[in-house]
Amino acid sequence: MQDTTAFLAADPAGNIFEVADLDVYYDKFQALKKVTIDIPANEVTAFIGPSGCGKSTLLRCFNRMNDLIEGCRIDGTIRMEGTDIYDRQTDVVKLRTEVGMVFQAPNPFPMSIFDNVAYGLRCQGIRDMKILRRVVEESLKKAALWEEAKDHLHRNALKLSGGQQQRLCIARAIALEPKVILMDEPTSALDPIATAHIEDLIEDLKKQYTIIIVTHSMSQAARISDKTAFFLLGDLVEVGETSEVFHVPRDTRTEDYISGKFG
Amino acid sequence: MSSRRKFADAVRTAVTWLSTSISVFVLAAIFVFVFSRGWKTLNWEILTSDYHPKNIMANVVDGEPGQFARPDDLPADAVFSERYGFALTDAVDHQKEKQMVLTYIADDSPLTAAVNAASGPTRGDPITITEDVQIQRIDYMSIERGRKSPAGFMGSQQTAAETIERLEADGESLIGFYYQSAGGGMMGSLLATLMLIGLTLAIALPLGVSAAVYLHELAPKNRVTAILRSLIEMLSGVPSIVFGLMGMTLLFSVTALFGITTQSILLGAMTLAVILFPVIIRQTEEALLVVPDGLRMASLSLGSSRTQMIFRVILPNAVPGILTATLLSISRVIGESAALIYTMGVAINDKPEIGRGGTTLAVQIWTVMTGEQPNFELATAISIVILIIVLILNVSVKLVSARLNRKWRT
Repeated sequence: MQDTTAFLAADPAGNIFEVADLDVYYDKFQALKKVTIDIPANEVTAFIGPSGCGKSTLLRCFNRMNDLIEGCRIDGTIRMEGTDIYDRQTDVVKLRTEVGMVFQAPNPFPMSIFDNVAYGLRCQGIRDMKILRRVVEESLKKAALWEEAKDHLHRNALKLSGGQQQRLCIARAIALEPKVILMDEPTSALDPIATAHIEDLIEDLKKQYTIIIVTHSMSQAARISDKTAFFLLGDLVEVGETSEVFHVPRDTRTEDYISGKFG
Repeated sequence: MSSRRKFADAVRTAVTWLSTSISVFVLAAIFVFVFSRGWKTLNWEILTSDYHPKNIMANVVDGEPGQFARPDDLPADAVFSERYGFALTDAVDHQKEKQMVLTYIADDSPLTAAVNAASGPTRGDPITITEDVQIQRIDYMSIERGRKSPAGFMGSQQTAAETIERLEADGESLIGFYYQSAGGGMMGSLLATLMLIGLTLAIALPLGVSAAVYLHELAPKNRVTAILRSLIEMLSGVPSIVFGLMGMTLLFSVTALFGITTQSILLGAMTLAVILFPVIIRQTEEALLVVPDGLRMASLSLGSSRTQMIFRVILPNAVPGILTATLLSISRVIGESAALIYTMGVAINDKPEIGRGGTTLAVQIWTVMTGEQPNFELATAISIVILIIVLILNVSVKLVSARLNRKWRT
């Protein structure tokens, strides 16, 4: 369906995820059909496609959040750095500390900013306040929220604006030092200014993390991603360098979608 | 609109209006009735005193008569003894028996200096007699007979006037007296109710909340869970007297393990806990439902285990709902009577203990109304106390659930 060999050769850093023949079913509905895709490390990969095309489903496979959905069944393999994450031996809790996630709507816990960022570490049993303070500060700095939040670390996170809340959610994920950050339409609930903030942030973060982002906005995908994958009705139609996918799509369906003929 | 339709509309509107009026009127009538009958009886004294009167026998230290003047503010129906300085009034007690109440006692009356005359370790201890006690008998040295004689009900006198007249005419000196404290209070039942609330919640809350967490957060969403849930819901439809029977037979053997072999507050609490399970499980589940799924996702995506998610995120956010469940449970405990009659008994206990029987306020109403002389005044006074507590609880529930609803809208 698509040629991934060229793509592999162009990326000496290697792939963090290798997905092979992935089928995902919700009860009887097949959400993904024989998807094979490699996700390169330390790059931004964007998943685009119309609603219901399976892009979020694939995203949720990487940290096994689909496990929570009743009736969800998965065939095929997803390897993370060579290890099958759907293996019985896989420690799902550990996987999720390595693969962080930012959701569509900002969902900070109704607790203080500090406690939000420290949450993941505390769940791992880290209680040392010195470590927690250091990590909270670093994470907030990386998420470009430190300047705004440093004076009210103990204020309830729900008091922050939507954009700030989303950056807090990113900081919360970063605090665990993940290898990958999954972002499920992270700006769809935000205004243009907050969106620009988040996009700048993604630009910074990709130096250290692999980012996979699902987005409805093609301009956003074009702006921030290195690789783009286009999905349609559960099929992976095309994947490649973002500039190529947008300018010289190999598949007519991609061209139609990008040029706005449907979507 | 046609006139026919207008008429039909008017009739239907009138029916709804009338129904509302009837229910409001009946409710108001109950309140007015209870308050008008019980308000006069209700006072601090009745809240804090025992139900069962205490009998006290005392010897007067120095019973020589003196000269006392009748105080000006003494009511006309009080009969005053000028030689011994006290006044008695005819009255009726909470068991509708005739009594003579000590309505006045002068500071230096012979009755003020007395010692306990009952055999036992406290014999000889000083006794301070207070106003409002019920005088049963006064022993005096009779001039006529030259020996100790009784005056009062245990003599042959039937009224305060007769008793005082006898003492004034025939009394050479006072020897001793026998009296009862007023009684008819609700302190014991109030304490028993509090103990029952505490114990019941201590049993029912942890179990109910845990069960709700299992059903809502952990159990697979399948037929078995659905059946479990509807079985629990069904429990709330079982009449409480059936639970009383169950407590009396089944749970009794559990309390027997603690060495309690009678009806007891513990047995009542365990039975009520079973009655409360559906209420608490339901309320807690509803509170869990309000917690947004986004928080569960967020917690798990940050590498928390399911139990960490439950204890760190879900339960803290369900606290207002659990509080509502607690308040509703307290109302239920206060209002329950049928299940308690079998498990805690109907004997009013002024010094309630966990391992002993006793009555709650609601059951005390039942007890005072089933005697040979139903005491309507006390029953309505207790009703007022219950109504006030329930009213406070209901307002609290409203406030708490208002907070619960507001929380996620910010």
